[in-house]
This record gives sequence, structure tokens and C-alpha cells, in this order.
Amino acid sequence: MVGKMKAVVGVLKDTFSFNDLPLSERIAFAAFLVFVFFFPWIVHTSYPRVVMIRFLLFAMYGLGWNLIGGYGGQVDLGQAKNVGFGAFATALMITWWGVPFWITVPVGITVAVVESFAVAYPMFRLRGHYFAIATLCVALVWQKLFLFWDWTGGARGVELPIKSAPNFTYMQFGTIGYHYFIFALFMAEFLFMNWFRKSKMSYELQAVRDNEDAAASLGINVTWTKVKTYLITAAMGAVGGSFYAVYHLYIDPRCVMQLDLSILIAMTAMVGGAGSIWGPILGAAILIPLDMYLGALLGGMGFYGIDFIIYALIIMVIAAREPRGIWGIIERARRRGYVLRG
Amino acid sequence: MFLEVKNLYKEFGGVVANAGVSFGLEKGEIVGLIGPNGAGKTTLFNCIAGYYKPTSGKVFFKDKDITGWPAHRTARSGIGRTFQIIRMMERLTVEENVMVGAFCRINDRERARRDAQEILELVNLEEQANAHPTELPIATQKRIELARALAIEPELLTLDEIAAGLNPLETIQIIDTLRRIHKEKNLTLLLTEHVMQFIMRISERIIVMAAGRKIAEGSPQEVARKEAVIKAYLGEKYAKGK
Repeated sequence: MVGKMKAVVGVLKDTFSFNDLPLSERIAFAAFLVFVFFFPWIVHTSYPRVVMIRFLLFAMYGLGWNLIGGYGGQVDLGQAKNVGFGAFATALMITWWGVPFWITVPVGITVAVVESFAVAYPMFRLRGHYFAIATLCVALVWQKLFLFWDWTGGARGVELPIKSAPNFTYMQFGTIGYHYFIFALFMAEFLFMNWFRKSKMSYELQAVRDNEDAAASLGINVTWTKVKTYLITAAMGAVGGSFYAVYHLYIDPRCVMQLDLSILIAMTAMVGGAGSIWGPILGAAILIPLDMYLGALLGGMGFYGIDFIIYALIIMVIAAREPRGIWGIIERARRRGYVLRG
Repeated sequence: MFLEVKNLYKEFGGVVANAGVSFGLEKGEIVGLIGPNGAGKTTLFNCIAGYYKPTSGKVFFKDKDITGWPAHRTARSGIGRTFQIIRMMERLTVEENVMVGAFCRINDRERARRDAQEILELVNLEEQANAHPTELPIATQKRIELARALAIEPELLTLDEIAAGLNPLETIQIIDTLRRIHKEKNLTLLLTEHVMQFIMRISERIIVMAAGRKIAEGSPQEVARKEAVIKAYLGEKYAKGK
């Protein structure tokens, strides 16, 4: 009993403690949280607010993807399917039976986890690029199925019934309400990741990423470690999908199960810095505003597609110069400073 | 018998890497496994530690049949190993590399860290604890491999060419370290090596392999005089024109 209490206290401490991080990082993150918290009160126009919500959503997607892709080093290009499972579970259950949002979330998670478990073992027989292609294919198959199935709304998609007043059962609000809703979800995943990165599983996962043979020689079941992580990532994607459904109030397989979405999720973590806690947040902070402002700006000037080229350039430069992303550049600079001083 | 290998065969397609190898180890022994290149030493190690499934034959560890067990299971049952080609977790620090080993027995992070620090002291690496392994010289990386393997608290430690690439001084240092650990941790050691100076000094008993078979076994002095051994080694060397 006392041992259990101690373990719980330990987990809570790991979840809420940032003491192992440098002071500068802690201050920067605190400033970031304050900024995000007061954002709707500072900015009164609606487009930036929408950008902010999308940023938080993608930061959250990135945090989840960072588990398998960053800490696990397995480039998964099929996270959109899990977002889709969450989104469809929520949208369909609300439109068919009027089930409260909070009950649809665990259902979406369950669907994503069960499906991921079913495909995980054959997929993890593959490595590197082959694994990436397999994840991509599985996600595409699901998208096609959802497009053809009539019972899920097919290509027409699902429209959620709109409530007239702010509603906590179906989680429908104005922009400010959604802002705090996604902010809370983001914080929950962020704190989970803060616990995770210090956990035994995190060390084992990183060992598997860096060298599978060495990991196995230390008693780590390599495949099971990957599968476990893949399931947690799937669950986190489904939560994001559920939010997306009640936020947009309309979903179809082309928006929630699209290949673009899978890639953007992976990019968020990889551009920011895969395998670090700040990476996905940094990545989303760069890619999402870029996507939403640059696309609109250049499109308005008649240069359609230029934003994609700029996008692709950033990705190419990052991939060639520093595969650990922007956070990798910062860490390397810091390390060099340390070596020079030391 | 502590470890027993019985008539072990391992074939890759048509190539026979191990052709009916049998030997045994008693608890606490230090046994060297030597042989010219391609004799099948590393294959044998991989079969014992579960990286390869033997084509036929059996491996018993502490009287349990462990033939074909996956690597993580043999590790958990008490067989530690180092690799011929160094395998570091390069994004983790030295201390974290060893901690991963300690996590094999310990769930608590801080206890695993303390354990790792103790083991790093044992192999004289306490000062490099926070470095990244790939920043360090080969000799140090070999010690990290050793520390990591020790962290799982193995009863049998198999070392695949731990002295390869080390200079004579480093070789003597690692012999000292291994002797100390052998005594302190009550280990059984099985080593392969090309560096004769190393293997002859540390082993109590030597097994000689050539072309996938065991050709001799005995004390270092006995083995060095056996005709089959001289033939296997010198014949090979002359053939290469060295």
C-alpha cells in the first residue's frame, strides 16, 4: 500500500516537474503558456484565433506522433487514419444517437488502438522506408473504405447537429471556448509526454531506436516496445480527431484521413525536432502559421502552389542539414558553446 | 554444467558456419574461444545469445533448454554480451546507456541511475558519464559496452572481441578490469579474440575453432602446441601470404 502510494507520488512528480530542464527553457515555456492563455484577450480578430487553434491542434498531433516517430525513430506516415477513427467515432455517435462527446472519445481511442494492434505486428517486420510506406498504405486503404462505405456517410461526409447555445455535452462553443478546450487537451498531452520522456519506457524506446541489437542484449523486447508505442500514438491521434469533429462540425474522409494530414503531422515533429519534448511545439509554431498565412497571401496574389514549394524547401533543408530539426540545431549550438567554455 | 552447447549446427543457405560444435562451461570459468577468420566464433555467440536460431543442436543454460530463445529472453535469463562491432545508443549519454541495462532488473529510474554510476566506477568511466558515446575513443566505447552488459547483472558474460582495435596498454587495462569484475561479480566469462596476447593471458581454458568445427580444447599452453591448431593458423596465414 505504502509502496503504491510512493509510486503514484513519483508519477505525479515526474508529470509536473520540469526541474531537469535548463532555466532558460522553463522560462520560455512559461512565457509561451501565458501568451497562449491570454491570446483570445489580446487578439480580437477571428483569423488569428483560428490559426492559434489549428496550431494547438497540430502541436498536439505532433506530440503524439513524436512518440513513435521521434522517441521510437519509426517514421509513421499514417497517423491520419487514427485522427479519422477518432473523428468518425465522435461524429457518427453524436449524429446517430446523440451520445455525449466525452463518451465518444474513449470509443474513438478504442477503435484506433484495436486497429493499430491488428496491423502492428506485420508492419513492424519492416524497417525504415519500408515501414513508412506500409503505414502510408494502411492509412490510404482506410480512407478509400470510408469513402465507399455508405453507413459512414461515404464521400459526402458527416454533418454534426448544431446546438444553439454553448454546450458541454457536445462540446460546442464560440472560438474562445474552442481555444480553451484545445488548450486543455494540448496541456494534458504535454504533461503526459513530460512524464513519458523520463519513464523507463522512454529509455527503452530510445535504446530500440538507436540500436535494436544492443537493446535486445539488455533484455528489451524490441517488437513489443515498438507496438506499445504505436498504440499510444494511435490513441493520441484519435483524441485530436474527436476534437476536430466537434470543432468543424463537418468531417469527410478527404479532410480527416488524407495523406496530406499524415505528412503534415510527421513534419510538425520532424521540422521542430523529433525526439525532444519541444520539437512538435516548435514545428507547429512554424509550419501552421506559414501554411495558413503564406498560402492565403500567395494565393491571393495569384501564385498558387508557391507556398508548397517554400514548404518543401524548408523540409529539404532541415532533412539535409540537421535531421534532428530546429531543436537539434539549438542543442548543437548549445553543446558547442559548452565545449568552448568548458 | 553451467552452459552446455550440444552438437550445434548453423547454416546460412549453403554455407555451414557451425558444423556440430559441442562444449561446456563450468560456473566461474574464464574460457577463450579462438580461431582464424571465418571459423564461426561470432555465429556461435549469436546462437547462444539468441540472435540466430541454430539449424540444429541444443543450448542449455543452467540446465534449461534455451535453444532458439529470442535475445531479450536470454538476456533476462542471465546471459550478457558485448558486440564485435560496437553498438552504442548514440543519442543517449554514457550513463543512460548503462541505465537502460539496469532497467532490465529495476523499474525505478533513480535506483537505475545509482546502479549505473556504480558500474561506471567499476570500469573507470565515472568521468565520462555525461558524454555521448560516439564522442569518445574506441577503447572507451568498448568499456561502455562492458558496463552496459554488466548492468543487467548477468551470470554468464560473452565478450566478442572486446580487445580488438585496442593498443597494448589498453589491452592490459581491460584484462585487469575483466579480472577484477570476474572476481567481484562471480561471473563466468566466454571470450573470443584475435589478439593472442590478450586471450592467452586471461583464459583458464581455450577452445579452438576452424571452419565451423571445434578442433582443440585445453589450457593455453596445451592448445598452443597442438598440431591441428598450428596448421589451422599458420596454414591460413601462409595462404594469405603474410
